[in-house]
Amino acid sequence: MRRTAYRVLLLAVRGRRERGGPWGEAVLAEFDHVTSTGAALRWASGGLRVAFRERYSSHPARYRLAAMALATLAAVPFLVTVHYVPSHGMEPTIAVTSRHVLDQVAFRVTGIDHGDIVAFPVPDGPDDFQTLRRVIGLPGDRIECSEGRVLRDGAALDEPYLPSDAQVIGTECAAVTVPDGAIYVLGDNRDVAQDSRHWGVISENKVTGRVIV
Amino acid sequence: MPRTPHASPQTLRLFEALMKDPSTWRYGYDLSRETGLASGTLYPILMRLTEQALLEAGWEPSDQPGRPPRHTYRLTGDGIALAKVRIADAMARSSAKRAAGVSIVRPA
Repeated sequence: MRRTAYRVLLLAVRGRRERGGPWGEAVLAEFDHVTSTGAALRWASGGLRVAFRERYSSHPARYRLAAMALATLAAVPFLVTVHYVPSHGMEPTIAVTSRHVLDQVAFRVTGIDHGDIVAFPVPDGPDDFQTLRRVIGLPGDRIECSEGRVLRDGAALDEPYLPSDAQVIGTECAAVTVPDGAIYVLGDNRDVAQDSRHWGVISENKVTGRVIV
Repeated sequence: MPRTPHASPQTLRLFEALMKDPSTWRYGYDLSRETGLASGTLYPILMRLTEQALLEAGWEPSDQPGRPPRHTYRLTGDGIALAKVRIADAMARSSAKRAAGVSIVRPA
């Protein structure tokens, strides 16, 4: 145990060099005088800090870069996630079985906008079954359908992302005014998609992410 | 307000240990035992003080053959002056607090 601690400290202080920095060497030289095994372990673990500090002060830029890279790596799983698409509801924009990167944090700051594709758990499914749909209506919007086109506050939406057959067949929906804290979502593949036409509006706080790519 | 340098409780404990006999050279491990500071706390303070010429460091050949030389430390003139000021400040502060009816518990 003691030998291992010494070896680790030696490696941290010297690396592949013949001799480490003076402070690392100072901690190493004292190691022999440390009495109990527990104290020796504590001494060695503090020594690691000293060795790191000494190296850091000689190459601050390199260590700052490494720390930044490490922090980014640690933060990424909280910031973004990968979503596997299980349905045809967003075709042709989003192909079934494709994978997309979702932002999980930034949309809470910037807010959701018309045309964003957001992820949320399917209202009539289990919580971990998420789906992607396009945001058509935000709080206060009046959404209705007329002659196969979707109207927002009375103006027909230009929807170039729809599949060609849906452009011909059109969209039918019941008129609704989106209440506060909710969004109205539609799938691009209007023929097959389950969306706000069936579920009604989705609560904004159910949204778990927004598609980046 | 900018922080006063070298006024942390840990630095203060080190000052107290070094000021017992400012002229003798001290070993790192002995200082660690006397102050109760772990090596990871003690050495960064020693490094900082040495950088600012408040502490001088030297190498002393070990008394037993085959062992590496040991690093030794003592306060410089500037260091002694600063340590006196910091210790006096700390004592004034603690007595002021006691007068105000606040008891301070110093960790062992």
